[in-house]
Amino acid sequence: MRIQLTVNGLGYERDCAEHRTLLRFLREDLGLMGTKEGCGMGECGACTVIMNGRAVNSCMVLAVEADGATIRTIEGEADGPSLSDIQKAFERNHAVQCGFCTAGMVMSVKELLSEHPKPSADQVKEAIEGNFCRCTGYTQIVEAVLDLTGSPEKKGELEHV
Amino acid sequence: MKRNPDSALNVMGKTTYIDDLPESTEMLHAAIVCSPSAHGRYERLDTAAALAYAPGVRVLEASDVPGQNELSTSIPDEPMLSTGEWHFRGEVLALVLAPSRSVARRAAALVKLVGREDLPAVVDPREAYAQGKLIMAPRTQRLGDPEAAYADCDVVVTGRVESAGQEHVYLETQGAVAYPDDAGGVRVVSSTQSPSGVQSIVARILGLPMNKVEIETRRLGGAFGGKEDQASGWAALAALGAYRTGKPVKLYLNRRDDMTSTGKRHPYSSDFKIGLKKDGTILAFEADYYQNAGAATDLSPAIIPRTLFHAANAYHIPNVRATGTMCRTNLVPFTAFRGFGGPQGVFVIECAIEKAARALGVDPVKIQRKNLLSEGDVSHYGMRMDDVRATDTFSRCMDKAKWTELRAGIAAYNAANAATKRGAAAIPICFGISFTKIMLNQGGALVHVYSDGSVSVSTGAVEMGQGVGRKIAVVSSRTLGAPIDSVRVESTRTTTVANTVATAASSGADINAMAAQVACIEIKKRLVALAAKLRGAAPEAVDLRDGYVTVGGVADGELSFAAIVAKAFENRVDLSAHAFYATPGLHYDMKAEFGTPFYYHVYGCAVVTATLDVIRGSYRFDDAIIVHDIAESIDPLVDMGQVEGAFAQGLGWACLEELKFDDAGRLLADTLSTYKLPDAHFMPRMDVEFFTKPNPKVVANSKAVGEPPFIYGLAGYFAVLDALKAARPEGPSFHDLPMTPEKAMLFLTGDLGAAVKGL
Ligand code: FES
Ligand code: FES
Repeated sequence: MRIQLTVNGLGYERDCAEHRTLLRFLREDLGLMGTKEGCGMGECGACTVIMNGRAVNSCMVLAVEADGATIRTIEGEADGPSLSDIQKAFERNHAVQCGFCTAGMVMSVKELLSEHPKPSADQVKEAIEGNFCRCTGYTQIVEAVLDLTGSPEKKGELEHV
Repeated sequence: MKRNPDSALNVMGKTTYIDDLPESTEMLHAAIVCSPSAHGRYERLDTAAALAYAPGVRVLEASDVPGQNELSTSIPDEPMLSTGEWHFRGEVLALVLAPSRSVARRAAALVKLVGREDLPAVVDPREAYAQGKLIMAPRTQRLGDPEAAYADCDVVVTGRVESAGQEHVYLETQGAVAYPDDAGGVRVVSSTQSPSGVQSIVARILGLPMNKVEIETRRLGGAFGGKEDQASGWAALAALGAYRTGKPVKLYLNRRDDMTSTGKRHPYSSDFKIGLKKDGTILAFEADYYQNAGAATDLSPAIIPRTLFHAANAYHIPNVRATGTMCRTNLVPFTAFRGFGGPQGVFVIECAIEKAARALGVDPVKIQRKNLLSEGDVSHYGMRMDDVRATDTFSRCMDKAKWTELRAGIAAYNAANAATKRGAAAIPICFGISFTKIMLNQGGALVHVYSDGSVSVSTGAVEMGQGVGRKIAVVSSRTLGAPIDSVRVESTRTTTVANTVATAASSGADINAMAAQVACIEIKKRLVALAAKLRGAAPEAVDLRDGYVTVGGVADGELSFAAIVAKAFENRVDLSAHAFYATPGLHYDMKAEFGTPFYYHVYGCAVVTATLDVIRGSYRFDDAIIVHDIAESIDPLVDMGQVEGAFAQGLGWACLEELKFDDAGRLLADTLSTYKLPDAHFMPRMDVEFFTKPNPKVVANSKAVGEPPFIYGLAGYFAVLDALKAARPEGPSFHDLPMTPEKAMLFLTGDLGAAVKGL
């Protein structure tokens, strides 16, 4: 089937098999490797992208379902070499270890902040509850978001050397 | 702003993992054919349907291996491809190659076993022990005479302890891409913690000298021990495919295959006996650990001594006997996982203390505090403990937690509430740093300074999120006096630094940053000598700091780091150096089980509080207060991430993650929907304080950090147990990890006995 969609502001038109997931489509057909597969079964959140304003697990969405959709992936987050505010906050607060969950985390946080610009710690946790991170224990991720949004709950006394 | 350049790439999604490598059109994709049960044999494989499924499908079997079909680095009991008998479910019988991953997987499903016969399987370590199925002879460490000491004790308590295994769930699954080279060798990009280890296995499998096999590792999407020995098989299978077909071959496991076919943390079943005086002094402790090693040797013989070394945790006990038995079962070969058998050992002594505290009618904290190690104590393996920080960290943690008030507050809360109960517990740690196998405590580095002043550092360390690359960059920059932004830490390659060891045992930075430092010192010496000559100064007066040559402590504005490097090139000064580091002072007599197996220890203490829902058995963790012996941190943010992340994994192991096998050896939790991982809600409020006394033994006065904080997670188990005891004081002792809400519920209803072994 022929599908048309907008990814990170660019229009694409491609032939696509009906059973192809959006994740495979993004990675293999469009070459956008920033979105990761951690399970392929809708459990880990590593493949999270934003589709029409909502964070979705792209391994659970068929590419044909995204026909006509507007998609944002991690590749559209930075403006050239300059990081977005969320990315800067992740970096500044060491919310990244191995980095494999990071693209999905950033996307989930992006969706959250589009609705709640000043979330509570609980709202942050809720927003990333579908994103597993095996490395960080989540604390530095939550702190990164609160650091960005200026909530008093952040700790933030440590810095990279 | 101070930046971590690795994180910057990561947040942009620009870092490359195995699955992100470019795929040429000629690349073949591999899928595995796995054994269908825990034990059995077959006459041959019927590959006709698989081969006919699509053009270009190939099936490789054991007979296609040109070298030695063996993955083990000790006892040869782990064929890469089965030779007619399998010993666990998920063992690889054949490799299927095809032009696409989905075709390979579908063709693999068509390979049939001819003459299949299932054989009896053993999944329980005690049963394996009873049948004499051992990997190697048991090992015993002893000090004093526990048998005799019980006579002097006021209370003697025995018990049984179970701890389940744990799945690593590195978010990036195992995989490798192999490229044939024109000299008949292979180059493999492998998701491994041990490129040199993979190199020797691939060479063995292909029957090639090691110089025809190059392994490269850029970074891993998590590993935690799971890619130490266990990455070799996947790299070797891909290499075999490339060798046989002359085409690049990619093998990347999906999550279910990874969970089914790769090793995990060892389950243990243990017995203890502990004797104490009325005042809480522990006089004697004995433990027998039955380690479920799985179907092959893997790293079990290296893991069992670490269990024994940690038998007494952070306590000095004058009479100890600890025996570890590696039991061969028909489960996947269990392997390294953060802590390497140490956490299993610590759990047993902490269970013994908990039960003894009940018998004495005291708070377990009283026993813990009373028996903490002091300076000069000799451990049960003969090591004189120096620079002991057990009491410092324990007391600080108790103060931060306001333990007395906390206990009183919980007692008042529990008296006033029937439907919910609160609990708290403390866990001190004392974790030995160094590989338990002494030969592994070595590392190399190769440093190049390019003529423009930029610096390239290669070591044997693999970056897997733990920040070792960051630490190496910081140490190199400081040592050379070069700006941090000018230092690049290279991917780990067997052709740049050879004969390295796995990045494991928390020692990645200790060993590799040290080796890099030695190389940088050498280059700096040459640069300083040249600068002294150019400026007509005495070499002692010249230094390189913060990007400039200094003379008599004053920066020379004309001689930046890049400028002096350019001059060095003009003056034909060597701008490269290789260095080597071996941890000093280690010795251990395996026969006598006595010696100094560790360079130093890491101390610390955690307090965790929990609130239990008595009606449902569910609970939540409220607070975690940790005081951790970090010494001087090379990068405090990185180290904080290690402490918090390790604690989360430890809490997951202790409470949530249930690695369940059925009696036929089938893993019931083989996807992330059935294997429950900690999520953001699961974590308590974290309050981590660093204990910052320098450690002069190690590069930059630091301490290793990766594994020790994992053990803090056990405090979660005992905090919930504490709340359970408040809800049902007459309940039995209950030492069966993980403390899932289901088990908590059964404890509350009194139905636990039927569900749990050893009650
Ligand atoms: S890969 Fe989509 S949720 Fe895990
Ligand atoms: S940083 Fe490794 S999984 Fe999140």
